[in-house]
Amino acid sequence: MTIENIIEVKDLSKTYKVSERDSGFKAAVASFFKRKFKDVKAVDHVHFSIRPGEMVGFLGPNGAGKTTTLKMLSGLLNPTFGHAKVMGYTPWELRGEYLSAITLIMGQRNRLSWDIPAADSFLLNQAIYRIGDIEYKQTMRELDELLELGDVVKKPVRNLSLGERMKCELAAGLIHRPSVLFLDEPTIGLDITAQARIREFLREYNRRYNATIILTSHYMADVTALCERVILIHHGKLMYDGALAELSRKIAPFKVIGVGLENAADYDLTGYGERTVGENGDAMVYLRVPAEQATSVTSRLLAELPIHDITIADPPIESVIEQAFQG
Amino acid sequence: MRRHLNLIRVFLKINLQMAMAYRTDTFVNILVNMMWLGWELLSLSIIFGNTQALAGWEFGDLIVLLGVFRIVNMLMFIMIWPATEKFNTSVRDGSFDYVLLQPVNSLFVVSFSRLTIWRLWDLVLALVLILSGLSISGGNILWQNFMAFLALAFSGIIIIYSLWVVLIALTFWFTKFDNNVTILHALMDAGRYPVMVYPFWLQLIVTFIIPIAVATTVPVQALHGSLSVLQVLMYLGVGAASFVVAVLFWRVGVRKYSGASS
Repeated sequence: MTIENIIEVKDLSKTYKVSERDSGFKAAVASFFKRKFKDVKAVDHVHFSIRPGEMVGFLGPNGAGKTTTLKMLSGLLNPTFGHAKVMGYTPWELRGEYLSAITLIMGQRNRLSWDIPAADSFLLNQAIYRIGDIEYKQTMRELDELLELGDVVKKPVRNLSLGERMKCELAAGLIHRPSVLFLDEPTIGLDITAQARIREFLREYNRRYNATIILTSHYMADVTALCERVILIHHGKLMYDGALAELSRKIAPFKVIGVGLENAADYDLTGYGERTVGENGDAMVYLRVPAEQATSVTSRLLAELPIHDITIADPPIESVIEQAFQG
Repeated sequence: MRRHLNLIRVFLKINLQMAMAYRTDTFVNILVNMMWLGWELLSLSIIFGNTQALAGWEFGDLIVLLGVFRIVNMLMFIMIWPATEKFNTSVRDGSFDYVLLQPVNSLFVVSFSRLTIWRLWDLVLALVLILSGLSISGGNILWQNFMAFLALAFSGIIIIYSLWVVLIALTFWFTKFDNNVTILHALMDAGRYPVMVYPFWLQLIVTFIIPIAVATTVPVQALHGSLSVLQVLMYLGVGAASFVVAVLFWRVGVRKYSGASS
């Protein structure tokens, strides 16, 4: 590896064996005795390199291979093929020095013990990472200041709100001051304010310690707020690696207008925009409209149709990505 | 080594706090435990109200055996049950990933991070039992027999621990395997009496398959000098070997986990 790159990934591939069976009782019995396996390529010859201090967004629909890639980079998974070097280490050798220099934070998994206050789990991490008392106090002071932890750490984790818990999870994952952070959906399930605070924290952490951050998220806003560079993975393959600005120019000039309309089938909406599928399958009708026309189309809709509800939103990240590779 | 001792100190502290957070539970547990001991002693005294010896063992010997059994049992309750529960949950919900990513031996963390502290109280009871058993049976204990007793009791505990490690490591292959330790539990109580009282087939099981007898009957036999030096060494060797096998098995399991989990 070269000095400039802190992470080098080459031909990284991971194939899972997944047992599969047809539906129905007979198939269930058959598979109890004889399993059929299918190979699923979760990550397929992925290449990239990352410089120290970069914040990179990992994008892709569910099952694209983002989490698998992060797990390989943190060392949890052995790849089927290819190699990766992070700070000169091969992650899956799980060397102590390597593990002390990185962190993996997963929004959907708990590192903290349920029954005790987060502060006690922090102390445990101090012992695990062998952090001296002075350094530990200093780090805790800084994390407290950045995350505004306050008294939250003194309450048993089970009594915390999701947002409070995530702050504590972040603190727990950062007590050893890792220089490379792998974050898998760190803002999942949080409300807008809490998301914003976590983002603010990550930006500041990156700035202060020049930490390298790789982040996956379902919320486009996380990525746009934090990452100048994005890597897109789709079906395990690397589809795009470059500036976020470039990507948005390519695919984001669309807005999705949701229209609440009685007997929508009676109206011809083709004149306003292309029909598209909504996120939650509700009764709204969704139209894809070029961004610069969004305002004018909205006012036309309101003026010409008996509309009782209207929403304007960015297209969901899945459809953005879907579009990026279709068009 | 110092780091691991320090970690055990922190684990103890955290678990003590947890025990105190659920203080009613802790209190009731201690009470129930006392009642069990009373029941065990009562049943022994009923047996000895009717007979002088059980499979050649006198009352005092059986009290010593009960003391040793309670130490092994204590290990089960202090460490093995809570650790198993936590481990099974962590594999299922994925938090085991975090255990693997800590720069500490994962088996060490799995073994010691969850401890039911109040059970340590059992140690006092067990020692009282062992000492009173010794004084009841009278006679002098040779110091070399006593050393063999200690070494074999320790090695017996290691054997039970190793077996446990293998059983929970199987979870890496069969993700859903919550009954992994049930078999250990089912046969545990057999350690309460000298192995000779059981039918032959059960003796074989508790000696070779779930070697609870090796952890309880065998040390007490050594105390009375009824084992040859060769036998003592052999049992110690089995203890050391099973530990090595268990640690290797664990490693293979972890590698399997990293190979397949998603």
